[in-house]
Amino acid sequence: MASDSPWPRPADAPAAEDLSRCVHCGLCVNSCPTYAITGLEAESPRGRIHLMKAVAEGRIPLTATVQSHWELCLQCRACEAVCPSGVPYGRLMEKTRAQLDAAPPSGAQSRQMRRFLLRNVVARPRVLAAILAPVRWLANSAVRTAAVRSGILHLIPPLARGERMLPNRVGAPLRRGGDVPQPAAPRGEAILFTGCVMGELFGDVHRATARVLARAGIRTENAPLQVCCGALSAHDGDLEFARRLARQNIDALEGSEAPIVVNSAGCGAAMKEYGELLDGDRAYAERARAFSARVRDATEYVAGLGVETPAAFTGRVAYQDPCHLAHAQRIREQPRQLLRSTGCELVETNGADMCCGAAGIYSLVQPTMSAALRERKADQFRAARPDVVVTANPGCQLQYQAAVREAGIEARVMHVMELLDEAQARAETERQD
Amino acid sequence: MPTRRELIRELTAAVGAANVLWRPEDLLVYEFDGTIERQAPHAVVFPAGAEETAAVIRACNRLGIPITPRGAGTGLSGGAIPTRRGVIIATARMRRILEIDPVNRLAVVEPGLPNLQLSEAAAAHGLFYAPDPSSQRACTIGGNVAENAGGPHCLALGVTQNHVIGLEVVTAAGEVTWLGNRVPDAFGYDLRGAFVGSEGTLGIATKVVVRLLPLPASVVTLLGIFDTVEQASHTVSAIIAAGMIPAAMEMMDRLTIEAAEAGLQCGYPPDAGAVLLVELDGLPGPVETQAARARAECFENGAREVRVAQDAHERELLWKGRKGAIGALGRIAPNYYILDGVVPRSKLVEVMARVSAIAESYGLPCANVFHAGDGNLHPLILFDERQPGMPAKVLAAGAEIMRACVDAGGSLSGEHGIGFEKRDFMPWLYSETDIAHMEQLRGVFGNSGDFNPCKLLPTGTGCGEMAHQEAALRAAGPDAYV
Ligand SMILES: Cc1cc2nc3c(=O)[nH]c(=O)nc-3n(C[C@H](O)[C@H](O)[C@H](O)COP(=O)(O)OP(=O)(O)OC[C@H]3O[C@@H](n4cnc5c(N)ncnc54)[C@H](O)[C@@H]3O)c2cc1C
Ligand code: SF4
Ligand code: SF4
Repeated sequence: MASDSPWPRPADAPAAEDLSRCVHCGLCVNSCPTYAITGLEAESPRGRIHLMKAVAEGRIPLTATVQSHWELCLQCRACEAVCPSGVPYGRLMEKTRAQLDAAPPSGAQSRQMRRFLLRNVVARPRVLAAILAPVRWLANSAVRTAAVRSGILHLIPPLARGERMLPNRVGAPLRRGGDVPQPAAPRGEAILFTGCVMGELFGDVHRATARVLARAGIRTENAPLQVCCGALSAHDGDLEFARRLARQNIDALEGSEAPIVVNSAGCGAAMKEYGELLDGDRAYAERARAFSARVRDATEYVAGLGVETPAAFTGRVAYQDPCHLAHAQRIREQPRQLLRSTGCELVETNGADMCCGAAGIYSLVQPTMSAALRERKADQFRAARPDVVVTANPGCQLQYQAAVREAGIEARVMHVMELLDEAQARAETERQD
Repeated sequence: MPTRRELIRELTAAVGAANVLWRPEDLLVYEFDGTIERQAPHAVVFPAGAEETAAVIRACNRLGIPITPRGAGTGLSGGAIPTRRGVIIATARMRRILEIDPVNRLAVVEPGLPNLQLSEAAAAHGLFYAPDPSSQRACTIGGNVAENAGGPHCLALGVTQNHVIGLEVVTAAGEVTWLGNRVPDAFGYDLRGAFVGSEGTLGIATKVVVRLLPLPASVVTLLGIFDTVEQASHTVSAIIAAGMIPAAMEMMDRLTIEAAEAGLQCGYPPDAGAVLLVELDGLPGPVETQAARARAECFENGAREVRVAQDAHERELLWKGRKGAIGALGRIAPNYYILDGVVPRSKLVEVMARVSAIAESYGLPCANVFHAGDGNLHPLILFDERQPGMPAKVLAAGAEIMRACVDAGGSLSGEHGIGFEKRDFMPWLYSETDIAHMEQLRGVFGNSGDFNPCKLLPTGTGCGEMAHQEAALRAAGPDAYV
């Protein structure tokens, strides 16, 4: 690679063709959450792309200021979904982030630390389980309930903030290879992707998904050798590690035609893009494309089965699009269709498809912007008064739990699969009665 | 001239440190608008409201620093480019809807509000804001006022000028005043009318009172598919000759259709030579009759197919193609230069042929989008600014095309304004006396040349520094942003 490239890692630099696609028409700016909050061009997609171009053309160096504008990006890809010119923004930002670990530090935060955690904790099932065990304990503990009831938290704001970020009750984990509910008479088979944090904190969602599949006659395989999808690393610009995880998953799940069903929108989006991620890898490119073609979001898969399982649910349900479902996978209709099929009252809140601020590890590394976006959701919930807030991604689910508490309303927060499972179970008992 | 430090100190005193940008990287993203011009300011400020705006303007006037107002930066004539650097006053902190008054059918909004957000909010009251530029997701009401923006639905309803009743304005002198108010058709000199379309050269609008209209009871949208632009143009004339005034009548040529379909999957047939989007609205009965008539005119003039949108979703899809068409051309070439000529409808076909011939003589591909009902054409010259000498060549071709429009009895701008790019063409249409009178009007608002300099009128000093070619190629060196 030419050493005169302005980028520290030329092999993974944003492509000139991708950058030149942006005609700065501005049609994306008002879809951008960070622009909605700040009103600053540099915190808009058009501005961020302009800065990438300026660095690529050698007009400006990779200063801390430039980096901070890129770091504040949620990688929600709302801009990409509305861009008429087809600018592949997600890819551009991943490649831009890939430059930053080799760039002079921005001083904003320790990228090394982040990378270490993503590589050595999140992607290692046993370490992750050990780290999350106390979180589960704390979330479910009587101490927490007592503290909340007593009102003592209001006296200690940092504790109150911490409590708000804790998940609601956490069910038993469902890790790779674990047992899942199966149909009595299978008519098809799917592989359930269990993921990293998802399997630790959202075992309930996995079990609900498997039950929904079972009622439709689909046998669920929980492959023992699958690993973290690598989305968090890819978004962080650690493409090398993301590629390693992608290859491991391909090795673990290929050799079958069965669809790979994913109930975490972020993981699904990343896995649908393995083909692109491993494009330059001669041994894996073809296999990666074949793998990606098998990946289905759980809502996409279940809606596509065309099996009408009776379902009954009453109440006001506010569906909030996960960014990586609506914008990256362009799936908006299927989750709504599944929810409507339960007979619930589906309410559309303003900005349902605008990022909630969870965005992977974003809520940890950019807490201020994340909180500002969460508050917007809380305002919407306060106005719409839903009984249930529904989404389809683990990070969003945690963020909505916090937003609901912040809004001061009584609402459950569920995954589409959980609501569907509960609605189907209810219909079953009603029939038996 | 003050030092930068002095300038920043004054601006900070006016709006607070959090609302002043001065780092080179932060300024760099304000060097462009929707055109190919480039020039970065010395500072960007974000006032909230008229008082802060006035304080900024007075400080700049005291220091002798040029000012350029900016909305969303989607302008297509370079209006928001700080040609002589200085200070950009951005309206991004003034984005609220202050009031919607459904009884009197008006709204009071801040200038930085994106156009589409107004119609979205008004829909809750069964109302909408008529001017709908294709950029409406992004462009601001303030920018619309400055450019007297139009849009597909302005054919029957008129452009921004017809929908703005009153304005709170901070003049170029830094005085806060109202032009017009909440009651339409005020007596006395119509200074509100003078401000709309003044391209940010008289002052900054800080509040805008707009008219809202009731949403039509019934809408029919149809897409005529033709083999040639001629057939589609004749259809436009025939529809108008038949006495109809459709709500909108938009035409796109082959290259545009191709890009829109590739980028937006809007259901346009990619092999068509032209499509004509016709929308009729009003009471259900008459609309049906008119739609049948328009459909017949399409076939009469050689349409190979006419599709009628069956529901709101299909209608939205047809419009999505039109509204995203310009941006979608980014799929074909990295840059476009969009022109905005107006010709008598009867000359449309003739001028079109001339446009193609000019573009061809420069060896440049050219796509076309038209507000066909108004005779407003938008040839888009496609190019790559990274090719040496290209921007100059494109601008030369553009000038020839504009000349062709004027020669055909047309004008220099349908809706994008004159701005920086076309000001030298003003003498084609206006006498020296005309221009001198316009210059005097500027003086009345306190603009002695430093308020949005080098825009609209071919007068002023220090404008030559930003030569066209150079502006587009500023990529050259780091002095561009220092
Ligand atoms: C893809 C695309 C499609 C477009 N389609 C259309 C169309 O269909 N019809 C149409 O008319 N235009 C169209 N435009 C052009 C553009 O969107 C309009 O001219 C729009 O009105 C500009 O608004 P803005 O907020 O972006 O203003 P800017 O570009 O930021 O500024 C434009 C001018 O307004 C001045 N200005 C901004 N705010 C104020 C204020 N508060 N007070 C005084 N002056 C101010 C600026 O100084 C400048 O001279 C299109 C542009 C693009 C990129
Ligand atoms: S990213 Fe797309 S929508 Fe946004 S400014 Fe660029 S071309 Fe326009
Ligand atoms: S990915 Fe999201 S936050 Fe980032 S620029 Fe695009 S819209 Fe904005």
